[in-house]
Amino acid sequence: MLQQILESLKLFQPEIVLTVVLCASILLDLIFRNKPNFIGGFVIAGLLLAGYFVIEQANGVTQSIFSDMYAVDPFSVFFKALIILSALFVVVFSLQSKELNNGKRKLGEFYSLLIALSLGMLLMTGASNLLMMYLALELTSLTSYILAGYKKEVPDSSEASLKYVIYGSLSSGMMLYGISIIYGLTGSLSIYGINEALSMGGVNLLAPKSSGLALIAANVLMIVGFGYKISAVPFHFWTPDVYEGAPITITAFLSVASKAAGFAMMMRYFFVTYFDAVARSMEGHFTALPGFDWTYIIAIISVLTMTLGNLIAIWQNNLKRLLAYSSIAHAGYMLMGVVVLNNEGISAILIYFVVYLFMNLGAFYTVMLIANKIGSEDIDAYKGLGYRAPFIAVSLSIFLIALTGLPPTAGFIGKLYLFAALINAKWIGLAIIGVLNIVVSLYYYARVFRNMFLRDPEKDSSPIIFQPIHILVTLALVIPTILLGLYFSPLVDIAQASVKMMGLM
Amino acid sequence: MLTDFGRVFLFFIIAAIFVAAGLIVARLLRPHRWYPGKLTTYECGEEPVGTPWVQYNIRFYVVALIFLIFDVEIVFLFPWAVVYQNLGMFAFVEMVIFLVILLVGYAYVWRKGDLEWDRPEPEIPFIQILKRFIS
Repeated sequence: MLQQILESLKLFQPEIVLTVVLCASILLDLIFRNKPNFIGGFVIAGLLLAGYFVIEQANGVTQSIFSDMYAVDPFSVFFKALIILSALFVVVFSLQSKELNNGKRKLGEFYSLLIALSLGMLLMTGASNLLMMYLALELTSLTSYILAGYKKEVPDSSEASLKYVIYGSLSSGMMLYGISIIYGLTGSLSIYGINEALSMGGVNLLAPKSSGLALIAANVLMIVGFGYKISAVPFHFWTPDVYEGAPITITAFLSVASKAAGFAMMMRYFFVTYFDAVARSMEGHFTALPGFDWTYIIAIISVLTMTLGNLIAIWQNNLKRLLAYSSIAHAGYMLMGVVVLNNEGISAILIYFVVYLFMNLGAFYTVMLIANKIGSEDIDAYKGLGYRAPFIAVSLSIFLIALTGLPPTAGFIGKLYLFAALINAKWIGLAIIGVLNIVVSLYYYARVFRNMFLRDPEKDSSPIIFQPIHILVTLALVIPTILLGLYFSPLVDIAQASVKMMGLM
Repeated sequence: MLTDFGRVFLFFIIAAIFVAAGLIVARLLRPHRWYPGKLTTYECGEEPVGTPWVQYNIRFYVVALIFLIFDVEIVFLFPWAVVYQNLGMFAFVEMVIFLVILLVGYAYVWRKGDLEWDRPEPEIPFIQILKRFIS
């Protein structure tokens, strides 16, 4: 027992580092009160150290630690690296954000909370026990509620926080109910234990006939919890208001890292719990529930998510809100990769997430830079921006083209692998709906370019000057967005090596 | 035959019937002689003043939260103390880490001034000042 805990700690280094950094940053904030940039720098150093330990784990280690509470495997390591990279970017963004650094706010706490949020997300990627999953989800949710309402004096921000709390507590309550039903049926909270209970003659032998139905109901409740985290329709209602009201750096973080953690947890739950160890020889060896195919539920949610996200995005005039709906649509695209139920689908999602990290963070960052200067996020205020700030306008256009999924950007590669996985698995209808959605999305992204390049500036036409550091950070996001579209084989290799989950062969 | 959950359900039904029956029977049997003093809210013998629907100071919640955290700490410390002999050094180090994390929270609360109880000046409504002035 003791030996096992000590062994487990060796594989728990990134999380330990983040915990120490969290406590230390709180203490440093108490000592150096009015130097938030110092705390920001400290947090960056801590994230880099945690990132180092994550990369050290990227040697194919597949192990279950803390008596099956937590899994360390290539799949979770991939997501952890993704989350830490986006946390680094978000801290850098926050150091430059004008809406945050207005002198009134205590930003030391902001960085401590960001670390707590990243820690919760790391725990979500590896949690392999239903209670651990719930705790990690709550740690992530509670810190994001606070961060979403960080601009206390702005009513929108408080509204965002309140809506987030209400939707979040409702859906996590439903998920907890689902967990309790699953525990009642199978007598286990560990996803391996549930898998074992189900594969040993199925749930019908454990209890009366109605329990198959109860298991389906419990899984629908679980989908509510996951769907809320990845903002899938019909659990998306919080997304636009929260994304609009929250500080833009937090919006960027929620739209990328929070979604990645939600996907990681959801895929681990469904794939490991309903993995059929007997029929392992077949390609699609993730089986559905006995007598019920839950992939259809996910397919329907996926179609609803992308269609609704894209159709509502057309009508938005605030760019932050537009990007919120577009991120709902992207969650829909990625859900298509879950539906195909094979390793090709998982690796397509992993590729998509890397690409999505660069393009979405980039889009939010350029929107933040422009808002810092012109004080507005309305699409109408972007008129003639191509002449006033050519570099930033071109970068924003590259990010939006990548989000649409046009070559030669990385967005194309992400969508290519996703659709290839779908077509290989004979989900042609779903692929057609996905392609139609991409056409719709081109319209609203193109509206932004049109305002930037084809319209004359209205009032002020003076050029906007950006500092070298802003241009440097933008380049750090633009270069991967283009490069991964041209030279993507290393990314694909890493993603294909990272599909291995603990408990799966 | 009843399943395990069926028994729980039966338990709920019987509990509901028991409560309802108790209230109804008491209503039928008891004498109805009331006066205003009997109908007031029971507040440990004190006479209630004003309405309970007032805004409470947020400080009460902060103090309640801090109390809760340290209360839970004790809940964790008791089982730890019971098995301490068997676990030895490892358990000690583990509990020290737990306490240090809690102490960070305590330092935070202290430094941020949430433990200070500065009473705000009571706001006297203008009409009362006027009354005092007249009398």
